[in-house]
Amino acid sequence: MSREAYQIPTSQGAGGPGAGNAAVAGRAVDNEGLPMLYICGDCGTKFPLKRGDTIRCIECGCRVLYKERTRRMVQFEAR
Amino acid sequence: MAPSSGRVPEPESRKTVGINKETVSNTVSTDFPDNYPDGDESWDKDWFAQNLKIEFHQNDDYEAQFSLIGVDASIANAFRRILIAEIPTLAVETVFIQNNTSVVQDEVLSHRLGLIPFTGGKEGIRDWMKWWHKPVEGADQYSTTYDHNTVQLKLQVECTHNKDAAPDEKDPTKLYHNAHVYAKDIVYEPAGAQEQYFSGDNIIRPTNPDILIAKMRPGQVIDLEMHMHKGIGADHSKFSPVATASYRLMPVIKILKPILGDDAKKFQECFMPGTIKLEKVTKQHVKANKEYAGHEGEVMAAVDNPLYDTVSREVLRHPEFEGKVKLGRKRDHFIFSIESTGQWESDELFLESIKTLKTKSQKLQTQVQNMVYTYSG
Ligand SMILES: [Zn+2]
Repeated sequence: MSREAYQIPTSQGAGGPGAGNAAVAGRAVDNEGLPMLYICGDCGTKFPLKRGDTIRCIECGCRVLYKERTRRMVQFEAR
Repeated sequence: MAPSSGRVPEPESRKTVGINKETVSNTVSTDFPDNYPDGDESWDKDWFAQNLKIEFHQNDDYEAQFSLIGVDASIANAFRRILIAEIPTLAVETVFIQNNTSVVQDEVLSHRLGLIPFTGGKEGIRDWMKWWHKPVEGADQYSTTYDHNTVQLKLQVECTHNKDAAPDEKDPTKLYHNAHVYAKDIVYEPAGAQEQYFSGDNIIRPTNPDILIAKMRPGQVIDLEMHMHKGIGADHSKFSPVATASYRLMPVIKILKPILGDDAKKFQECFMPGTIKLEKVTKQHVKANKEYAGHEGEVMAAVDNPLYDTVSREVLRHPEFEGKVKLGRKRDHFIFSIESTGQWESDELFLESIKTLKTKSQKLQTQVQNMVYTYSG
């Protein structure tokens, strides 16, 4: 499977309350459609990288890049 | 039941805890039947009603101090424990973190959010809001989540550079937007029928808007949602409606022999301000106590308001007061102090604790009756 075709698995499916009790809205998964941005380890600029691009900051040329934190929802108990 | 007519009150000496130089004596209550040859100490409803007193010293919205006089320590303590652990409030229970790039870890952030006290429409929170139950294993995560048991909150903040800041600005709160994330940044999201209970002045909001949740720097983001549920302090202290609910016993200061002149001033300074007053010895004093004879016009120490005393026992350290003063505490006089976290008013909390104890007693009553029916054949 190519990297682009990979789908992030979602365990809770639609992630909303069951039918008939839609009073409280569920959680929407909205991590699709956003370009993958990389963060420069030196200057902090965020910029997109395509396949085959050199791993290098477009602003300062730093070769250390970080991925952004995932936008996938993480659930915690407030305890 | 004992007849209440002709019953005499328990002598003060039996109701006083002795505070001595190195010991505390008479700590246990003795007002139970057959303990003393004189008088009847059995519990009597009318007698109790006659002798029970509640006096408020301070009654602000979220801070109350009052005296509860004429009950046993077990009852006063029951109220205290109910106040802390059994009166329900709303608190953040689940946090859904979409993004958090601040330096505060998700778990720590969630814990902090849980401890923030919230307030809102009383009718909605107390009567309309019901308990939330965890869905059964295998059921949908939100199958038990309704508008009448869940309150949704949102916290979405991003820290950015402030273009208008002075070039030599050093203060992060001026240099950046949202450098500090406060409780007031939390937004309530009404759902379903909540609008009619939690709108206008009744909106769900943090009691203290200036609680600092996290500090951020440009580029950092917090994006999360929260679900609040009803709970009790016994489950987690974030649900406790009080910051403190405590009591102490009323101090007793008995001046046994005259304390005059400079000694009186020193005596006054051994106690908290307002506890001891300085008076001139008058003819009445001499008439009432022969020991004052010949000291008319001199300054003497007298007890003003023992409520303020902390019972530090400082006075017992000085040899000049030896045998002149007796310290103690009234065993059936409880000075309650209730500080609310905002969902209830302090005096309402005390009434609610009485209601809770009553409900519990009624449940116990039916169980005792069942027990009697079962074992009496
Ligand atoms: Zn760079």
